[in-house]
Amino acid sequence: NNSSQLSSLPLQILLYVNGVYYIFYFLATLAMIIYKSQVFSYPDDFLAPDLAVLFLMAILEVPRLYLGFKGNLTEAEAPLGLSLGLTVGSVVLCVYLLLWQTYVLWADVLLNAVLLSAYGLESGLKVMAIAAFVS
Amino acid sequence: PADTPDTAQARPRSAPAPVTDVAKLCVCDLLVAQCDVNCCCDPDCSADDFSLFTTCSVPVVTGDSQLCSQKAAVYSLDVEANPPERIFKLIDQVNPSIFCIHATNYKQALYLKSSEIPTPENFDRLLDKFGGVGFSAEPESWNLDTDAQNPPDANETYRYEYGVPVQTEDAFLRLPSPVVSSWCSDANPAGFLVNQATKCIRSVSVEKCDSIQALSMLFYINSSILASVFQVNITVQSVVVQSQNGMRTLLNSSDVLRLPMVLDELCINAVLGVNYHITHTDTGEITEAAAAFVLGAISKEALSIEQSFEINFTQENTQPVPLSGNPGYVVGLPVRAGFRPQGYPFPAGFLSNKHSQLTILQSTSTQDCLAAQGARAPVLFGYNMISGCKLRITAAVKCQPLAQTLLDVLKGQSFPEYVASFGNSQAQDVLDWVPITQLHISEQMISNTLQSSCQIPVSLGIEVKWTKYGSLVNPQARIVNVTATITTTTLKQLPSGRERIIPVTSSVVFTDISSPAEPGYKAWPTINIKLPFDFFYPFV
Repeated sequence: NNSSQLSSLPLQILLYVNGVYYIFYFLATLAMIIYKSQVFSYPDDFLAPDLAVLFLMAILEVPRLYLGFKGNLTEAEAPLGLSLGLTVGSVVLCVYLLLWQTYVLWADVLLNAVLLSAYGLESGLKVMAIAAFVS
Repeated sequence: PADTPDTAQARPRSAPAPVTDVAKLCVCDLLVAQCDVNCCCDPDCSADDFSLFTTCSVPVVTGDSQLCSQKAAVYSLDVEANPPERIFKLIDQVNPSIFCIHATNYKQALYLKSSEIPTPENFDRLLDKFGGVGFSAEPESWNLDTDAQNPPDANETYRYEYGVPVQTEDAFLRLPSPVVSSWCSDANPAGFLVNQATKCIRSVSVEKCDSIQALSMLFYINSSILASVFQVNITVQSVVVQSQNGMRTLLNSSDVLRLPMVLDELCINAVLGVNYHITHTDTGEITEAAAAFVLGAISKEALSIEQSFEINFTQENTQPVPLSGNPGYVVGLPVRAGFRPQGYPFPAGFLSNKHSQLTILQSTSTQDCLAAQGARAPVLFGYNMISGCKLRITAAVKCQPLAQTLLDVLKGQSFPEYVASFGNSQAQDVLDWVPITQLHISEQMISNTLQSSCQIPVSLGIEVKWTKYGSLVNPQARIVNVTATITTTTLKQLPSGRERIIPVTSSVVFTDISSPAEPGYKAWPTINIKLPFDFFYPFV
């Protein structure tokens, strides 16, 4: 019965796909940072911020996805709103890895662009879901 | 506005900025304001010059090829056109790899690091870091100045290895030596078992001669050497005083310390040479140390003196013998030989090698055998030698004394009986010495010669057979057999008044009798198969 269900199915699918994709993204970016540190000259004071941003993003991703799932399934707008806030942080970190990393490889550009578009689509769907829950 | 000299000096000079525009980079442009041959990117070349080129030595100038897209300057020669002309194209080169660098936020990533320009502020630091023989991040371990040295543990046994600096209480045993120039540097440590002899120049002045440390005996015997449980003091072995004209006198009492002092415009008791003798055990512990000094006087006009230093290491309870190789003989070093009195061979003279060497007659300019008695040359390993002299005999010469004289001329005063098999054979090791086989060959075996006719030796041939011993990659020369052959001939009686000249020769030949190398394993490789401990678990 579709009319009484406010949870957004596309958002759920997207969150699930986002979770899987993020695992792949994290491992690939970590591997590429290791590759870069071997092949290029990567001094420690440049390596540290890049690794810190990557791990911070991973730490943010877990509650973000959990709150998104919970908010969407329980049709509560508070967790969804919090997840939206965390998404903003993740977007900033993703933009850092896309533009201000020490070495931005072409593969980095691809991975980060896909992640950014996923975040953008997710944010739009979350806003629509919040609007649906509130009203 | 005039540039004052102060501001010009204060402005820090920096290296010129690197050129990164590929259109302006030219690696083959070596001559300034002249056209380099076959260099298509040279801006000094005109179109006429280009028409004379055959190829372009630098066809492409690009930046780092790992970038995803970069500019490249492509130079080529169009040989079809008449006259040939150079084609210059600026293209975008694309790296298709997925791991190409799209952007980098680290400026120095793709360029070589530019080095620091020395300024008065950082000069000392740069000199410390790069001024030594090698660059290292840690300060050099032989730094002798105020860095705190760990005080060595007095109970620790000090075993030295070859080349390790000999330690004393405060630093290392110094052997002043010339470094780069001929001036003495006091920072050269003496290495254990490294026999060294150095000469260097020290600047002196007679007025300050008692304050210059390096001229005083105390400077050299001051510190005691750290060795085994106790410390070994450096004793004064002998003191030789050298006078102004070079004559040296050995002083009787060598326990009095003579310090330099000014006397009659001369500085006497100044150290001109030190000879250290260190005695050690065969496990590397130093037991004794002695120093022999040569003192001299410095005159007022002298601005510098030459000092000579030497250090020798001797194993205790052995006579110091100059080695001819370790262990195999080294080509060019004398063959060691000796006698065997009562039981075991030992070289009868150690430091002076006149009495127990294998020697050969040395040809002199007069070529007269009788006058040449005494001139002998040592037999050097690997060098075949031949020498000779001429003997003039008259009718009045008696045979027996002549034969004996010739034997002395050929063999020398003390012809040894044994030759060392290895270059470092010790006198105690009996099996390391090879006996010299003596053969007599008579030149004429005519049966009708009377038995009592005189035979005089006319040639001595020493044949030394040696072999390569040890491993194939580092074979050591080992003497296996030495044969001394004396050839005699009959002396026919001369009618009186006639003279005859007989040539007398002696030769040394070294023959290599090495057998071909055999491959061998040190130990046959074994396969260790053992069953695991609990293989038969349920049953045992």
